[in-house]
Amino acid sequence: MIEGVAFYILSTVAVLGALLAVSRRNLVHGVFALLLFFAALSGLFVMLMADYVAAVQVLVYVGAVGILQLFAIMLTEHVTGDDLRRLGARGWFWGLMLAVALPVVLLLPPLLNGEPPVPPAAPQSTARQLGSQLMEHYVVPLEVLALLLTGALIGAVAVAHGPEKDPPGKDRPA
Amino acid sequence: MTLNHYLVLSAILLGIGLLGVLTRRNIIVVLFSIEILFNAANLNFIAFWRFGPNPEALMGPMFALFAIAVAAAEVAVGLALVIAVYRHFKTVDLEKLDTLREP
Repeated sequence: MIEGVAFYILSTVAVLGALLAVSRRNLVHGVFALLLFFAALSGLFVMLMADYVAAVQVLVYVGAVGILQLFAIMLTEHVTGDDLRRLGARGWFWGLMLAVALPVVLLLPPLLNGEPPVPPAAPQSTARQLGSQLMEHYVVPLEVLALLLTGALIGAVAVAHGPEKDPPGKDRPA
Repeated sequence: MTLNHYLVLSAILLGIGLLGVLTRRNIIVVLFSIEILFNAANLNFIAFWRFGPNPEALMGPMFALFAIAVAAAEVAVGLALVIAVYRHFKTVDLEKLDTLREP
């Protein structure tokens, strides 16, 4: 009963946040709606007994990604871009059709299959097991991931830095 | 709450993200929508793990963690590209970004 109420509240918040994020004209309002969506999804992860993933979701998405997106908005065009002009009637229509049709097609097999599987007993807290598995079984993927993040960091700085206006040391008096 | 509830929610979120990717013209809003798509996929990973036959194996949370980390790298590089594109073209409107070389 309580679980059902929590699920419907969280999923309503998630859907509303996502809808606002993709439809608001003001980009800063869009970012805050997106943060609401991330937080609601973190609550859903808690309901699914994935406590560690919920914490990571809050840290990475609500913390880091939200701030990054705010920075990107501030560094680019006017915050309240007049962006509600669509791609034209046909583009809007076909986009909406595809966005409705794809979830329906994806949902057909589980909904036609009848009885959904019964959940097994709730697992214990997953943080300890996840940590030990990351250090034992998944240690090579973890290192590859660290390399990827380092590469992404250096690449982001290199791309966003832009070309040097006047190279130092070129016309410096000797 | 059954698995189907979570699958329906995830599919709705996927549809919203797809709608944003296909119809918005601001490149930053397209990046928002890609984030929504990633999160819908993560919800599916966790839901299938929770309702699957072997929740002790922890495959779902592990996959979701790696997906979150890769998505964070994608956001960093994507937003750096947005800033570079804005510096070059002075716009973030996808309709106007239609040249591959100097105009």
